[in-house]
Amino acid sequence: MNTTYLPSDFLPIVVQFGLAAGFIVLTMIVTHRIGPSRKSKMKDDPFECGIEVKGDARTPISVKYFLVAILFVLFDVEVIFMYPWAVNFQNLGMLGFIEMLVFMALLLSGFYYIIRKGVLEWEQ
Amino acid sequence: MSPTLSLFYFLSFLTVLSALMVVFARSPIHSVLYLILTFFCLSGHYILLNAQFLAAVNIIVYAGAIMVLFLFVIMFLNMKKEDEESKTNLTKVAAVIVAGTLGVILVGAFRKSQVGTYNPYAHDSQVGMVESLGHMLFREYLLPFELISILFLVAMTGAIMLGKREVGERHF
Amino acid sequence: MYPIVLLSVLGIVVLFLGFMKSKSVLLPATLLFLVLALASNFIDWNQGKVLYFYEMLAVNNLTLAFNAIVLVSAFMIVAMTRGFQDQEEAQPAEYYGIMLFSLVGAFMIIGYEHLIMLFVGIEILSVSMYILTGSDKSNLRSNEAALKYFLMGAFATGIMLFGIALLYGATGSFNLTDIQSYVSIQGRGVSYILYAGLLLLLIGMLFKVSAAPFHFWTPDVYDGAPTIFTTFMSTIVKTAGFAAIFRLLSHSFTPIYSFWWITLAAITVLTLLVGNIIAVYQNSFKRMLAYSSISHAGYLLIAVTSLSPQTENAILFYSLAYSIATISAFGVLMLVSKKKALEGQVDESYAAFNGLAAQNPLLAFVLAVSMLSLAGIPLTAGFWGKFFVFGSAVERGLVWMLVVAVLMSAVGIYYYFRAIIAAYLKEGDIGKIRIAPFYRIILVVATAMTILFGLAPGIFEKLL
Repeated sequence: MNTTYLPSDFLPIVVQFGLAAGFIVLTMIVTHRIGPSRKSKMKDDPFECGIEVKGDARTPISVKYFLVAILFVLFDVEVIFMYPWAVNFQNLGMLGFIEMLVFMALLLSGFYYIIRKGVLEWEQ
Repeated sequence: MSPTLSLFYFLSFLTVLSALMVVFARSPIHSVLYLILTFFCLSGHYILLNAQFLAAVNIIVYAGAIMVLFLFVIMFLNMKKEDEESKTNLTKVAAVIVAGTLGVILVGAFRKSQVGTYNPYAHDSQVGMVESLGHMLFREYLLPFELISILFLVAMTGAIMLGKREVGERHF
Repeated sequence: MYPIVLLSVLGIVVLFLGFMKSKSVLLPATLLFLVLALASNFIDWNQGKVLYFYEMLAVNNLTLAFNAIVLVSAFMIVAMTRGFQDQEEAQPAEYYGIMLFSLVGAFMIIGYEHLIMLFVGIEILSVSMYILTGSDKSNLRSNEAALKYFLMGAFATGIMLFGIALLYGATGSFNLTDIQSYVSIQGRGVSYILYAGLLLLLIGMLFKVSAAPFHFWTPDVYDGAPTIFTTFMSTIVKTAGFAAIFRLLSHSFTPIYSFWWITLAAITVLTLLVGNIIAVYQNSFKRMLAYSSISHAGYLLIAVTSLSPQTENAILFYSLAYSIATISAFGVLMLVSKKKALEGQVDESYAAFNGLAAQNPLLAFVLAVSMLSLAGIPLTAGFWGKFFVFGSAVERGLVWMLVVAVLMSAVGIYYYFRAIIAAYLKEGDIGKIRIAPFYRIILVVATAMTILFGLAPGIFEKLL
């Protein structure tokens, strides 16, 4: 197994990125070129199940979505901390295990708090 | 110029350009998209520094999760009104002077000082890998690591306290 | 170090106590936890300098004394909340929990040995303050204040982080002792990046203690936040912030004193001028106290700028005197404005105190003593605070700065005495204000401490 990594090892990924982006750009250009383009007021109208468009797309949304998103970010970061821990799991020994237990206990008590507060219950 | 160096210059150029576009873009949605581009460029820098874990985390957390929050906030705000000209000329001039002074100071400091003489023989290229990161994080940085969870808890309770609507209140 | 561990856990306990049916257990529990933390704080007393957790946290008598001041202030403030029983929408468990967590942040920045501890600590402290500022959800001004504070604070944190990064770039270490040895070996030949980094780091920290010209958020935020949390902000954040600034400068950057003292001196003078002169024009008592807190940041900065052997004592004594006086001033304001609010008028101006002495001699006396102490009149703690601060400036030979400071103290007398005049000489119709017994004890104790330290400042020095 390769044990030392260098930035140049990322070359294949860069190539893949380039290919993916290139494919998207290419198909977008080609579809716009080869298809006929007809524009009229009726054709450019946003289509909403055959019903006429009313109002605006920018209506206020419930704050619940945002709350869930914030909580997601917090736990997302928490899980990321587990990755370097898992890589070093054997190395860190018992002490590392306890450290992670404390960290998880603190955050899971936060999770329990969230559940008890009923933030995750949608129908309220 | 070695390929790494030219790549570095290209990435830096792209980073600065997209960061400037974040500020100058008219539509806030465009600003967010440029910000995502900036984060990708920064991840490129991390990879050049051989810190793959940080590069991946940067994309997952910042370009992924935090940008979603930004978009949410933009959706919350009513962007229809066009009242952009709230900044007076005086504020603009003052801002330019302050930022310019800071820029001059920083450029002057960087030009006058020699930093980071790099020794290719003593340098350990694997220092930014996730193994050594984990070692640092769970040994020397034990206390700040545990206390980060307190920061998370504060943010969590705060978000719930401020964001949760009580029974009977409107949801938006 | 023990209070950090203890309060982290007990904060969670308080959060969960909020799920109980009866909310009345919260206040005594929080007070008990603060007392426990105070007791555990002194386990390390007189051990000399102890480093914890791979040199992350330093503990010595000075940091313990600062911790104690913060804890005592927190105890008084929490006691004055009376469990938020009079507010229907209040969420006391969350308030107390966040207050306890914010103290963890305060302890971190009081005793940091590693710059990452400073950063995480300031983040914990600031995030808690943003939340508490906006805790009055139905009040538009509270929301506005929270948003303003958050945006400005986020920028300041960013600047501070940039400064830390530059310091690391110059010295190759985050550790204060390593930075100190780098600076003392290099002397004036240190890398210029270090200068830039130090400057940016100082800007970020000075923002948190609201020194001019980084003070613009202070009046709006202090005014918009619920008064109890304004008290918390203006005492605990300020004490901890100055402990952190003093620690940074005295520990790591004494060899390049000749570089940073000019910058700091300019900021000091500006802070004194801005805080005192604008305070004169305020009609709202609460807003005046916001500007007064800026001016007190200026006095504390005098001590930091002069950095003499006396300085640590001066800062310690000054922050104690300032905290106690501020707490009792806000305590009286809360009672009076609540009484006014019950009568249907929200009033936090000087005029609210009109005729206070007639029916409420105790409150008027508490207000008068706290105002005298803030103004620095002899026989109060505030006088000795100013005396020690000026003494350290004399030791360094900063006489011109002293002249400014004395002049500005004279200006300060004007606006502090307005409140006393309103309470004693003006006519007004404040009925008898009922004071809860515990609240009364806190006010009396705070006033007694102000007078006691004013009569015998030596008691305090013997304690150290």
